Amino acid sequence: MVINGRDKAMPCLYKYIMISPIKIWRRQKEIRKIIGKKGKVLVWTKIYTPGADFKKYAPYPVVLVELKNKEKIYGQLVDYEDSDLKTGKKVVSVLRKVRSSSEEGVIAYGVKFKPL
Amino acid sequence: MSKLIGYYTTQFGELWEKSLFDLVEEAISGVLKQTSLSNKQIDAVFFGNMLAGVLENNLHSPSKIAEILKVNIPIYRAEAACASGGAAFNLAKTYLDSNSNKNVLVVGAEKMTDYSPEETITGLSAASSGEEQEAGLTFPGLYGMMANYYLEKYHYTEENLAYVSVKNHFHGSLNSKAHFRKKITVKDVLSSPYVAYPLKVLDSSPISDGASAVILTNNRDLIKKQKNSVSVIASELVTDTISLKERKKMDEILATKNAADIAFEKAKISRKDIKVAEVHDCFSIAEILAMEDLGFWEKGTGGNKITELSTMFGNGDSLIVNTSGGLKAAGHPVGATGIKQIGEIFLQLTGQAEKRQVKNAKYGLAHNVGGSGGTAVVTILSS
Repeated sequence: MVINGRDKAMPCLYKYIMISPIKIWRRQKEIRKIIGKKGKVLVWTKIYTPGADFKKYAPYPVVLVELKNKEKIYGQLVDYEDSDLKTGKKVVSVLRKVRSSSEEGVIAYGVKFKPL
Repeated sequence: MSKLIGYYTTQFGELWEKSLFDLVEEAISGVLKQTSLSNKQIDAVFFGNMLAGVLENNLHSPSKIAEILKVNIPIYRAEAACASGGAAFNLAKTYLDSNSNKNVLVVGAEKMTDYSPEETITGLSAASSGEEQEAGLTFPGLYGMMANYYLEKYHYTEENLAYVSVKNHFHGSLNSKAHFRKKITVKDVLSSPYVAYPLKVLDSSPISDGASAVILTNNRDLIKKQKNSVSVIASELVTDTISLKERKKMDEILATKNAADIAFEKAKISRKDIKVAEVHDCFSIAEILAMEDLGFWEKGTGGNKITELSTMFGNGDSLIVNTSGGLKAAGHPVGATGIKQIGEIFLQLTGQAEKRQVKNAKYGLAHNVGGSGGTAVVTILSS
C-alpha cells in the first residue's frame, strides 16, 4: 500500500501552547481558600523524572495532605529536610509558583506545603 | 459468542523508521494476512490510541484507517489512557453482541519515542486530574505514592517489588517482539536510579512504539474456516475516579476488583481455572496490586508472594503471569498494550507461544488499566 503522508512530520502541538490565562485566573479563585491550612501527610513520593514544565524543580517531593477538615490536597513539599518525608508529618499550605511558564505566559501560582 | 481468530503485533521498541500509521498499517496487514481476510470482509474497526492528538496534532484517526484499508465502514477510536486498547476491544465485543455475522478489526497503536521523555511524560499526564498535574505528579509519581503506601502498610521493601521486573524481563527474553530481551537481577533493579521514589527505572515500563491487532467475529462460517480461534467469554470495563486521592483505598484499584468480579461471574469459572494471565505491570507495584485485586492473591500478601516467583514460566504448573514480558519488558506503547495482552493470551491458548508456551491452559485472562486506576478492563478467553 502507498502511504500518502497522512501522518508525516506532524508538529508537536502542545509545545506551542501556553496555559490559558483564563484557566489560571479561574484556578486562583479556588486556591486562595486553601492557603494557610494545616494538615498531615497521608502519603508521599519524590519525583526524579518530571514533565517538561517541572524539569527545573526536580527532584521534588509531592505529598498528599489531609487537612483538619478532612479535605485532601496534593502539593509539592518545599523548605524541607529529608527527615520531613514521612507519613503523618504536620505541614501548612503556602502559595508558590507551581510550574515554569512560557516567556509570554502568565505565571501560574498554586498550593505547596511547608513542614511544621 | 464472539471468537478471536487472529492476532498480529509489530515489534515493540524505539521504531524510528516508522510513523504511527506505518505501524497501524503493518498491524492491520499482518492480521488480515494471518486470517486470510480481505479488507472488504471487515465490517467495523475499533482503534485504541491515547497520545496522537496530544503529542503530534494527529487526530481523526478513523478516516486515516479508512484510507489505509480503502473502505467506508464504521471506524471508532477509543481513548482510556493506557487502557485505550482494552477499551477498544471491549467496544468491539459489545458491537458484536448486538450485530450478528460481523467481522471486526481491533487495532491499538502508539508512537511515543519521537519526543523527549519530558514531552512524553507531560503528554501522558493529560490522563491525570488537573490537581495532580498542577502538583507535578507524573504517573510514576502516582504509582510511587501507591508503592510507598503499600510498602509501609505491609512492611515490605523495594526488594520485594524488584522481583516483578526480574520475572518479566525473563519472559521478555523469550519473546522476539519484546522491547527488552535482556534478563536482569534483583541487584540490577535495586541499583537503577529512582524515577519516583520508591520506584526506579527498572521498576518501570518503558516508553515504546508499537501496534497490535486482533480480529473478532461472530460469523460461524468464517470461524469454521479458521485454523485458530478462542472464545471471548467475558470482557468487562469498569471506571473509577480520576483522582487517586478520591479513592477509599490507596492499596487497591477498585476498578480492577469490580471488573474481575463481574468477568468471572459472567465467564462462570473460578480464579483457579486461569492458567495464564497478562496483567497491567506499568510499574512493579502495579502487578502486585493487580494480582491481589484480580483475586489471585490475598490483599497484602503480594509483596511476599512475588519473591517466590511462582508465576514465572517454568516454575510450576499454576498460574503464569505476563509471559509476553508484560509492559515492563515487552514494552508499553499505550494504545497497543491492551491488544497485545489479549493477543498474548490468544497465542497461549492456541499453542503458538513458542519458547514461552504454557502447557494445558484452557482459560486465560488479560487485565488493562488506564491512568492510576480510573479505568480497568478484564477480558477472559477460553480455548
